[in-house]
Amino acid sequence: MNSTTTTGIKLIPASHFTVEQLTAIYNQTRVDYMVPMPMNEARLIEYINTYDVDLEHSLVARQDDQMLGVAMLGVREDRAWITRLGVIPNTRRGGVGLALCDGLLEQAESMGIRFQMLEVIKNNVPAHTLFLKLGFYEVGELLVLRGSPIIPPADPVVADVQRLDRNEALDLVGQDRGTQPWTNQSETLSNASEVSGLRITLVDGSTGWLVYQRQKFLLTRFAFKTQSGNPVDMARAFLTHLHHQYPRLDTQLENIQVHDPHLPAFHESGYVESFRRVEMWRGSPPASLIGQGA
Amino acid sequence: MTKILIIEDVPDNAELVRRIMSARGYEVLHAMDAETGLEMAVATVPDLILLDLGLPDHDGLTLAGWLRAETTLANIPIIAYTAWPPDTARQMAETYGCNGYIGKPIGSVKEFAAQIESFLKV
Repeated sequence: MNSTTTTGIKLIPASHFTVEQLTAIYNQTRVDYMVPMPMNEARLIEYINTYDVDLEHSLVARQDDQMLGVAMLGVREDRAWITRLGVIPNTRRGGVGLALCDGLLEQAESMGIRFQMLEVIKNNVPAHTLFLKLGFYEVGELLVLRGSPIIPPADPVVADVQRLDRNEALDLVGQDRGTQPWTNQSETLSNASEVSGLRITLVDGSTGWLVYQRQKFLLTRFAFKTQSGNPVDMARAFLTHLHHQYPRLDTQLENIQVHDPHLPAFHESGYVESFRRVEMWRGSPPASLIGQGA
Repeated sequence: MTKILIIEDVPDNAELVRRIMSARGYEVLHAMDAETGLEMAVATVPDLILLDLGLPDHDGLTLAGWLRAETTLANIPIIAYTAWPPDTARQMAETYGCNGYIGKPIGSVKEFAAQIESFLKV
Protein backbone atom coordinates (compact mmCIF):
# COMPACT_ATOMS: atom_id res chain seq x y z
CA MET A 1 0.00 0.00 0.00
CA ASN A 2 1.22 3.47 -0.92
CA SER A 3 -1.56 6.00 -0.59
CA THR A 4 -1.78 9.76 -0.58
CA THR A 5 -4.42 11.55 1.49
CA THR A 6 -6.29 14.67 0.44
CA THR A 7 -3.81 16.71 2.49
CA GLY A 8 -0.88 15.38 0.47
CA ILE A 9 0.37 13.07 3.20
CA LYS A 10 1.79 9.90 1.70
CA LEU A 11 1.44 6.67 3.70
CA ILE A 12 4.13 4.09 3.00
CA PRO A 13 4.40 0.57 4.48
CA ALA A 14 6.97 0.50 7.26
CA SER A 15 8.49 -2.59 5.65
CA HIS A 16 9.90 -0.30 2.95
CA PHE A 17 12.24 1.22 5.53
CA THR A 18 15.22 -0.24 7.35
CA VAL A 19 15.05 -0.76 11.10
CA GLU A 20 17.65 1.98 11.41
CA GLN A 21 15.37 4.42 9.55
CA LEU A 22 12.30 3.38 11.56
CA THR A 23 14.21 3.81 14.82
CA ALA A 24 15.31 7.29 13.78
CA ILE A 25 11.78 8.34 12.76
CA TYR A 26 10.26 6.93 15.94
CA ASN A 27 12.82 8.66 18.19
CA GLN A 28 12.24 11.99 16.43
CA THR A 29 8.51 11.73 17.13
CA ARG A 30 9.10 11.23 20.86
CA VAL A 31 11.84 13.75 21.50
CA ASP A 32 9.57 16.17 23.38
CA TYR A 33 7.39 13.59 25.16
CA MET A 34 7.05 13.71 28.92
CA VAL A 35 7.84 9.96 28.91
CA PRO A 36 10.02 9.82 25.76
CA MET A 37 10.86 6.05 25.73
CA PRO A 38 13.52 6.28 22.99
CA MET A 39 14.75 3.05 21.40
CA ASN A 40 17.85 1.80 19.68
CA GLU A 41 17.66 -0.66 16.78
CA ALA A 42 18.04 -3.74 18.97
CA ARG A 43 15.22 -2.59 21.21
CA LEU A 44 12.93 -1.86 18.27
CA ILE A 45 13.59 -5.31 16.77
CA GLU A 46 12.76 -6.90 20.13
CA TYR A 47 9.59 -4.80 20.32
CA ILE A 48 8.51 -5.85 16.81
CA ASN A 49 9.10 -9.53 17.55
CA THR A 50 7.63 -9.60 21.04
CA TYR A 51 4.44 -7.77 20.16
CA ASP A 52 3.84 -9.32 16.71
CA VAL A 53 4.19 -5.99 14.94
CA ASP A 54 3.43 -6.43 11.25
CA LEU A 55 5.65 -4.00 9.34
CA GLU A 56 3.87 -4.74 6.04
CA HIS A 57 0.75 -3.22 7.55
CA SER A 58 2.45 -0.53 9.65
CA LEU A 59 2.87 2.92 8.17
CA VAL A 60 5.27 5.81 7.79
CA ALA A 61 3.85 9.21 6.81
CA ARG A 62 5.80 11.41 4.43
CA GLN A 63 5.16 14.60 2.49
CA ASP A 64 7.54 15.27 -0.38
CA ASP A 65 10.94 14.47 1.15
CA GLN A 66 9.93 15.19 4.73
CA MET A 67 9.24 12.42 7.25
CA LEU A 68 6.14 13.22 9.28
CA GLY A 69 5.46 10.29 11.56
CA VAL A 70 5.04 6.59 12.11
CA ALA A 71 2.42 4.18 13.45
CA MET A 72 2.69 0.43 13.91
CA LEU A 73 0.15 -2.37 13.83
CA GLY A 74 0.34 -5.55 15.91
CA VAL A 75 -1.66 -8.47 14.54
CA ARG A 76 -2.80 -11.59 16.43
CA GLU A 77 -5.56 -13.77 14.99
CA ASP A 78 -8.63 -11.52 14.79
CA ARG A 79 -7.16 -8.70 16.90
CA ALA A 80 -5.05 -5.70 15.95
CA TRP A 81 -3.10 -3.28 18.13
CA ILE A 82 -2.15 0.29 17.34
CA THR A 83 1.21 1.21 18.81
CA ARG A 84 4.22 3.52 18.51
CA LEU A 85 2.09 6.25 16.96
CA GLY A 86 4.07 9.45 16.78
CA VAL A 87 4.26 12.63 14.76
CA ILE A 88 7.46 14.67 14.43
CA PRO A 89 6.96 17.81 16.57
CA ASN A 90 7.22 20.54 13.94
CA THR A 91 4.69 18.77 11.70
CA ARG A 92 1.94 18.28 14.31
CA ARG A 93 -1.59 19.69 14.01
CA GLY A 94 -1.66 18.96 10.29
CA GLY A 95 -3.75 15.79 10.35
CA VAL A 96 -0.77 13.39 10.28
CA GLY A 97 -1.88 11.41 13.35
CA LEU A 98 -5.40 11.05 11.95
CA ALA A 99 -4.07 9.96 8.55
CA LEU A 100 -1.80 7.35 10.14
CA CYS A 101 -4.58 5.96 12.36
CA ASP A 102 -7.09 5.89 9.51
CA GLY A 103 -4.47 4.11 7.45
CA LEU A 104 -3.86 1.49 10.14
CA LEU A 105 -7.57 0.87 10.61
CA GLU A 106 -7.91 0.37 6.85
CA GLN A 107 -4.99 -2.06 6.97
CA ALA A 108 -6.64 -4.02 9.78
CA GLU A 109 -9.95 -4.12 7.97
CA SER A 110 -8.24 -5.27 4.77
CA MET A 111 -7.15 -8.34 6.75
CA GLY A 112 -10.70 -8.87 8.01
CA ILE A 113 -9.83 -7.68 11.54
CA ARG A 114 -12.69 -5.70 13.03
CA PHE A 115 -11.40 -5.36 16.58
CA GLN A 116 -8.56 -2.99 17.48
CA MET A 117 -7.00 -2.13 20.81
CA LEU A 118 -4.43 0.38 22.05
CA GLU A 119 -3.11 2.13 25.15
CA VAL A 120 -2.63 5.86 25.46
CA ILE A 121 -0.66 7.62 28.21
CA LYS A 122 -3.09 9.19 30.64
CA ASN A 123 -3.41 12.95 30.14
CA ASN A 124 -2.16 12.81 26.55
CA VAL A 125 -5.25 14.76 25.57
CA PRO A 126 -4.59 15.18 21.82
CA ALA A 127 -4.06 11.44 21.29
CA HIS A 128 -6.98 10.48 23.52
CA THR A 129 -9.28 12.86 21.65
CA LEU A 130 -8.12 11.48 18.31
CA PHE A 131 -8.85 7.89 19.37
CA LEU A 132 -12.33 8.80 20.63
CA LYS A 133 -13.01 10.48 17.30
CA LEU A 134 -11.99 7.27 15.51
CA GLY A 135 -14.51 5.22 17.50
CA PHE A 136 -12.31 3.85 20.28
CA TYR A 137 -13.82 3.64 23.76
CA GLU A 138 -12.17 3.40 27.18
CA VAL A 139 -12.10 0.03 28.89
CA GLY A 140 -9.87 0.70 31.87
CA GLU A 141 -6.80 2.24 33.39
CA LEU A 142 -3.39 0.56 33.50
CA LEU A 143 -0.44 1.15 35.80
CA VAL A 144 3.25 1.07 35.02
CA LEU A 145 5.06 0.15 38.23
CA ARG A 146 8.74 0.15 39.14
CA GLY A 147 10.52 -1.82 41.83
CA SER A 148 13.97 -0.49 42.64
CA PRO A 149 16.89 -2.81 43.49
CA ILE A 150 17.96 -0.16 46.03
CA ILE A 151 15.13 -1.30 48.34
CA PRO A 152 16.15 -4.49 50.18
CA PRO A 153 13.56 -7.27 49.80
CA ALA A 154 11.56 -8.43 52.79
CA ASP A 155 12.24 -11.91 54.18
CA PRO A 156 10.73 -14.63 52.00
CA VAL A 157 7.26 -15.74 53.03
CA VAL A 158 7.23 -19.35 54.25
CA ALA A 159 5.92 -21.37 51.33
CA ASP A 160 6.59 -24.31 49.09
CA VAL A 161 8.20 -22.73 46.02
CA GLN A 162 8.70 -24.64 42.80
CA ARG A 163 10.82 -23.07 40.06
CA LEU A 164 9.31 -23.39 36.59
CA ASP A 165 11.22 -23.66 33.34
CA ARG A 166 10.09 -21.86 30.18
CA ASN A 167 7.71 -24.58 28.97
CA GLU A 168 6.07 -25.02 32.36
CA ALA A 169 5.77 -21.24 32.70
CA LEU A 170 4.20 -20.79 29.27
CA ASP A 171 1.70 -23.56 29.98
CA LEU A 172 0.46 -21.57 32.97
CA VAL A 173 0.26 -18.29 31.06
CA GLY A 174 -2.11 -19.99 28.63
CA GLN A 175 -4.61 -20.63 31.42
CA ASP A 176 -7.46 -18.21 31.95
CA ARG A 177 -6.20 -14.91 33.39
CA GLY A 178 -9.10 -12.83 32.16
CA THR A 179 -8.83 -10.25 29.41
CA GLN A 180 -5.39 -8.67 29.29
CA PRO A 181 -3.91 -5.68 27.44
CA TRP A 182 -1.86 -6.58 24.37
CA THR A 183 1.48 -6.25 26.15
CA ASN A 184 0.52 -8.89 28.74
CA GLN A 185 -1.20 -11.46 26.52
CA SER A 186 0.09 -15.02 26.33
CA GLU A 187 1.58 -14.46 22.85
CA THR A 188 3.84 -11.75 24.31
CA LEU A 189 5.32 -14.16 26.85
CA SER A 190 5.63 -16.89 24.20
CA ASN A 191 7.59 -14.51 21.97
CA ALA A 192 9.87 -13.30 24.79
CA SER A 193 13.21 -14.88 25.70
CA GLU A 194 14.37 -15.88 29.22
CA VAL A 195 10.87 -16.59 30.51
CA SER A 196 10.51 -18.69 33.66
CA GLY A 197 8.32 -18.77 36.74
CA LEU A 198 7.48 -19.76 40.29
CA ARG A 199 4.64 -21.95 41.50
CA ILE A 200 3.78 -21.27 45.13
CA THR A 201 1.83 -23.13 47.79
CA LEU A 202 1.34 -21.27 51.07
CA VAL A 203 1.11 -23.03 54.45
CA ASP A 204 -2.69 -22.54 54.44
CA GLY A 205 -2.90 -24.46 51.15
CA SER A 206 -3.39 -21.40 48.91
CA THR A 207 -1.84 -21.80 45.48
CA GLY A 208 -0.72 -19.48 42.73
CA TRP A 209 2.01 -18.73 40.22
CA LEU A 210 4.13 -16.00 38.73
CA VAL A 211 5.69 -15.97 35.27
CA TYR A 212 8.30 -13.33 34.35
CA GLN A 213 11.02 -12.44 31.89
CA ARG A 214 14.55 -11.94 33.15
CA GLN A 215 16.50 -9.47 31.04
CA LYS A 216 20.15 -8.52 31.60
CA PHE A 217 19.41 -5.92 34.27
CA LEU A 218 15.65 -6.09 34.59
CA LEU A 219 12.76 -8.34 35.63
CA THR A 220 9.70 -7.61 33.55
CA ARG A 221 6.60 -8.96 31.76
CA PHE A 222 4.95 -10.35 34.87
CA ALA A 223 1.93 -12.63 34.52
CA PHE A 224 0.43 -14.03 37.70
CA LYS A 225 -2.58 -15.72 39.10
CA THR A 226 -3.89 -16.74 42.51
CA GLN A 227 -5.61 -20.07 41.94
CA SER A 228 -6.93 -20.32 45.50
CA GLY A 229 -6.57 -18.08 48.54
CA ASN A 230 -5.94 -14.39 49.11
CA PRO A 231 -4.30 -12.60 46.13
CA VAL A 232 -2.40 -10.16 48.35
CA ASP A 233 -0.85 -13.00 50.40
CA MET A 234 0.04 -14.83 47.20
CA ALA A 235 1.64 -11.74 45.61
CA ARG A 236 3.58 -11.06 48.82
CA ALA A 237 4.96 -14.60 48.60
CA PHE A 238 6.00 -14.48 44.96
CA LEU A 239 7.53 -11.01 45.26
CA THR A 240 9.63 -11.85 48.31
CA HIS A 241 10.92 -15.05 46.74
CA LEU A 242 11.59 -13.44 43.37
CA HIS A 243 13.50 -10.49 44.81
CA HIS A 244 15.56 -12.73 47.06
CA GLN A 245 16.53 -14.69 43.99
CA TYR A 246 17.45 -11.53 42.02
CA PRO A 247 18.30 -8.81 44.56
CA ARG A 248 20.28 -6.64 42.12
CA LEU A 249 17.78 -6.51 39.29
CA ASP A 250 15.48 -3.60 38.60
CA THR A 251 11.78 -4.41 38.03
CA GLN A 252 9.29 -2.89 35.62
CA LEU A 253 5.66 -3.97 35.39
CA GLU A 254 3.78 -2.76 32.35
CA ASN A 255 0.06 -2.26 32.21
CA ILE A 256 -1.23 -3.78 35.40
CA GLN A 257 -4.95 -3.22 35.65
CA VAL A 258 -5.73 -0.57 38.24
CA HIS A 259 -8.18 -2.86 40.07
CA ASP A 260 -5.90 -5.91 40.12
CA PRO A 261 -6.42 -7.52 43.55
CA HIS A 262 -2.69 -8.32 43.90
CA LEU A 263 -1.66 -4.64 43.82
CA PRO A 264 -1.48 -3.93 47.59
CA ALA A 265 1.39 -6.42 47.89
CA PHE A 266 3.35 -4.56 45.21
CA HIS A 267 2.92 -1.27 47.03
CA GLU A 268 3.93 -2.90 50.34
CA SER A 269 7.08 -4.16 48.64
CA GLY A 270 8.10 -0.64 47.68
CA TYR A 271 6.89 -0.58 44.08
CA VAL A 272 6.02 2.91 42.88
CA GLU A 273 3.76 4.11 40.12
CA SER A 274 5.67 5.53 37.17
CA PHE A 275 2.71 6.60 35.06
CA ARG A 276 -0.73 5.45 33.88
CA ARG A 277 -2.18 4.49 30.56
CA VAL A 278 -5.78 4.30 29.41
CA GLU A 279 -6.73 1.14 27.53
CA MET A 280 -9.09 1.68 24.60
CA TRP A 281 -10.90 -0.72 22.27
CA ARG A 282 -12.70 -0.31 18.96
CA GLY A 283 -15.33 -2.86 17.95
CA SER A 284 -16.61 -5.88 19.85
CA PRO A 285 -13.97 -8.00 21.56
CA PRO A 286 -13.64 -11.35 19.80
CA ALA A 287 -13.72 -14.71 21.54
CA SER A 288 -9.96 -15.02 21.05
CA LEU A 289 -9.47 -12.07 23.42
CA ILE A 290 -11.99 -13.05 26.05
CA GLY A 291 -11.20 -16.75 26.08
CA GLN A 292 -7.54 -16.94 25.08
CA GLY A 293 -6.34 -17.06 28.65
CA ALA A 294 -4.10 -14.12 27.99
CA MET B 1 39.25 19.76 37.13
CA THR B 2 35.80 18.75 38.40
CA LYS B 3 34.22 16.24 36.02
CA ILE B 4 30.54 16.02 35.15
CA LEU B 5 29.26 13.05 33.15
CA ILE B 6 26.01 13.64 31.29
CA ILE B 7 24.24 10.52 30.03
CA GLU B 8 21.72 11.79 27.47
CA ASP B 9 20.65 10.52 24.05
CA VAL B 10 19.63 13.88 22.55
CA PRO B 11 22.86 15.55 21.37
CA ASP B 12 21.42 19.08 21.53
CA ASN B 13 20.47 18.65 25.19
CA ALA B 14 23.93 17.34 26.05
CA GLU B 15 25.62 20.13 24.11
CA LEU B 16 23.66 22.76 26.01
CA VAL B 17 24.77 21.29 29.33
CA ARG B 18 28.35 21.08 28.07
CA ARG B 19 28.34 24.76 27.08
CA ILE B 20 26.84 25.92 30.34
CA MET B 21 29.14 23.94 32.61
CA SER B 22 32.34 24.23 30.50
CA ALA B 23 32.00 28.00 30.67
CA ARG B 24 32.14 27.68 34.45
CA GLY B 25 35.34 25.66 34.39
CA TYR B 26 33.99 22.10 34.56
CA GLU B 27 35.04 19.21 32.38
CA VAL B 28 31.92 17.71 30.79
CA LEU B 29 31.90 14.14 29.48
CA HIS B 30 29.02 12.78 27.43
CA ALA B 31 27.59 9.29 26.87
CA MET B 32 24.69 8.71 24.47
CA ASP B 33 23.30 5.53 26.03
CA ALA B 34 23.15 3.56 29.26
CA GLU B 35 25.81 0.93 28.57
CA THR B 36 28.34 3.56 27.39
CA GLY B 37 27.39 5.70 30.37
CA LEU B 38 28.11 2.88 32.81
CA GLU B 39 31.46 2.16 31.16
CA MET B 40 32.46 5.83 31.22
CA ALA B 41 31.34 6.27 34.80
CA VAL B 42 33.40 3.30 35.98
CA ALA B 43 36.44 4.34 33.91
CA THR B 44 36.46 8.04 34.80
CA VAL B 45 34.75 8.21 38.23
CA PRO B 46 33.21 11.65 37.64
CA ASP B 47 32.32 14.08 40.42
CA LEU B 48 28.67 14.17 39.36
CA ILE B 49 26.44 12.22 36.95
CA LEU B 50 23.54 13.95 35.22
CA LEU B 51 21.26 11.14 34.06
CA ASP B 52 18.51 11.38 31.45
CA LEU B 53 15.77 8.92 32.42
CA GLY B 54 14.79 8.08 28.84
CA LEU B 55 17.69 6.30 27.14
CA PRO B 56 17.56 4.18 23.98
CA ASP B 57 19.17 0.94 25.18
CA HIS B 58 18.04 0.69 28.81
CA ASP B 59 15.84 2.77 31.02
CA GLY B 60 17.61 5.57 32.91
CA LEU B 61 16.23 4.40 36.25
CA THR B 62 17.64 0.93 35.62
CA LEU B 63 21.00 2.58 34.97
CA ALA B 64 20.73 4.51 38.24
CA GLY B 65 20.41 1.18 40.04
CA TRP B 66 23.57 -0.21 38.36
CA LEU B 67 25.53 2.96 39.06
CA ARG B 68 24.58 2.78 42.72
CA ALA B 69 25.64 -0.88 42.85
CA GLU B 70 29.19 0.05 41.70
CA THR B 71 31.27 0.49 44.85
CA THR B 72 33.54 3.13 43.26
CA LEU B 73 30.48 5.23 42.40
CA ALA B 74 28.51 4.71 45.59
CA ASN B 75 29.08 8.27 46.84
CA ILE B 76 28.96 10.12 43.52
CA PRO B 77 25.93 12.42 43.23
CA ILE B 78 23.53 11.12 40.57
CA ILE B 79 21.00 13.68 39.39
CA ALA B 80 18.00 12.56 37.35
CA TYR B 81 17.39 14.85 34.37
CA THR B 82 13.84 14.50 33.14
CA ALA B 83 10.68 16.09 31.80
CA TRP B 84 8.52 14.00 34.14
CA PRO B 85 6.11 15.90 36.41
CA PRO B 86 7.92 17.12 39.55
CA ASP B 87 6.19 14.75 42.01
CA THR B 88 6.91 11.67 39.87
CA ALA B 89 10.48 12.79 39.16
CA ARG B 90 11.16 13.36 42.87
CA GLN B 91 9.69 10.01 43.88
CA MET B 92 11.47 8.04 41.15
CA ALA B 93 14.81 9.75 41.81
CA GLU B 94 14.55 8.96 45.51
CA THR B 95 13.43 5.36 44.93
CA TYR B 96 16.41 4.66 42.66
CA GLY B 97 19.06 6.23 44.88
CA CYS B 98 19.52 9.47 42.97
CA ASN B 99 20.48 12.54 44.98
CA GLY B 100 17.87 14.71 43.29
CA TYR B 101 16.43 15.69 39.95
CA ILE B 102 16.54 18.60 37.56
CA GLY B 103 13.57 19.23 35.26
CA LYS B 104 13.76 19.55 31.49
CA PRO B 105 13.88 21.77 29.56
CA ILE B 106 16.44 24.11 31.11
CA GLY B 107 14.59 27.34 31.91
CA SER B 108 17.38 29.51 33.28
CA VAL B 109 21.06 28.86 32.60
CA LYS B 110 22.06 30.52 35.86
CA GLU B 111 19.58 28.46 37.86
CA PHE B 112 20.62 25.22 36.17
CA ALA B 113 24.31 25.82 36.92
CA ALA B 114 23.47 26.73 40.51
CA GLN B 115 21.51 23.49 40.93
CA ILE B 116 24.40 21.40 39.60
CA GLU B 117 26.86 23.22 41.83
CA SER B 118 24.67 22.73 44.89
CA PHE B 119 24.80 18.94 44.34
CA LEU B 120 28.59 19.09 43.91
CA LYS B 121 28.97 20.83 47.27
CA VAL B 122 26.94 18.33 49.29
